[in-house]
Amino acid sequence: MKSAFLFVAQLFFIWAIYAFSKYMVETLDIPIPSSVLGMVILYLLLTCKVIQVKFIEKGAAFLNKHLGFFFVPIAVGLMNYGGLIKAHGLQLLLMIAGSTMIGLAITAGITQYLTRKDKKTAEEDKGYHGQSHSA
Amino acid sequence: MDSLTLLSIIITIAVYIGASKLAKRFPSPFTTPILTATIAIIAILSLLHINYNEYTVAKDWMTFLLGPATVALAVPMYNNQKIIKERLKPAVFGLVSGTIATITSAVWLSKLLGLSDTIQATSAVKAVTTPVAIEAAALIGGNPPLAAAFVITAGIFGAVLGPILLTLMKITDPFSRGIGIGTVSHGIGTSQIMTEGPVQGAVSSMAMGFAAIITSILLPWLYPFIQF
Repeated sequence: MKSAFLFVAQLFFIWAIYAFSKYMVETLDIPIPSSVLGMVILYLLLTCKVIQVKFIEKGAAFLNKHLGFFFVPIAVGLMNYGGLIKAHGLQLLLMIAGSTMIGLAITAGITQYLTRKDKKTAEEDKGYHGQSHSA
Repeated sequence: MDSLTLLSIIITIAVYIGASKLAKRFPSPFTTPILTATIAIIAILSLLHINYNEYTVAKDWMTFLLGPATVALAVPMYNNQKIIKERLKPAVFGLVSGTIATITSAVWLSKLLGLSDTIQATSAVKAVTTPVAIEAAALIGGNPPLAAAFVITAGIFGAVLGPILLTLMKITDPFSRGIGIGTVSHGIGTSQIMTEGPVQGAVSSMAMGFAAIITSILLPWLYPFIQF
């Protein structure tokens, strides 16, 4: 019983951060989505030790686990685009799949390449100078 | 709550549970629950002659926690903050280049495939989370509701095909996998890549937030620049 209450309280707390972010975005006309602002706020609350992670852990784990579910009812909205899909479906699929894969290959490729280069340089520095530099 | 709404909610939850079980039984990108569940629900609603307008009330009930669920992604980010801080430089480089690449390639592919000006402008925003995409699309002459549809489709493609492409390209580093997926397929990709591991999920969440912010800043300047 107590744990059920705690779980609901944690969900409520996370929701409250979201509601606060939404209010801030709307009143101050901040050009980022409320959910992203809320994510930044919660991250700062955690890193600045204002709240402890165990205080929201259960609620957050539940929401993280079921994140995919919340997109399903929105994705069902694609049923409204039957006409467009019939007219240009193949072109649209090629465009969306193609550019998603190009963006993915470049983002992940560059990140992995630079990380390995950084590591290599760090190891070479170690070799040349006998001790590691703290970058 | 009326009976149609209740029925829609029951259908959605039941199908989603079934889709999740299918994904556990046959783990594959093609059994990603958002893909299989979406297709099954659209089929069931069409059979029952329920249109999307009638489904909207149910949708609003069920997506009530989407905003808070995105906020909760701060927890895996916090738990993995050490690796994120250590590798911030390659991450930012990859993310900015990838964001420019996905915007440019979407617009150019749309032009080459003979799609309309409105679709070209809308295609530019498809990689980022819906609220940003809707606003950014309006700024450059795109169509906001269509932007939402493109965002969902890009998310599903990223979730389904993304991990396959990364593996084919021998990108095995969990950090780089997370950055890539979060940058091009926002929350939908994040929800899928999280099943690979906590680092991927944390990094993907961060990338999704950054990509949204960078896109909303870059796009009005970049879009006119990439016209030909």
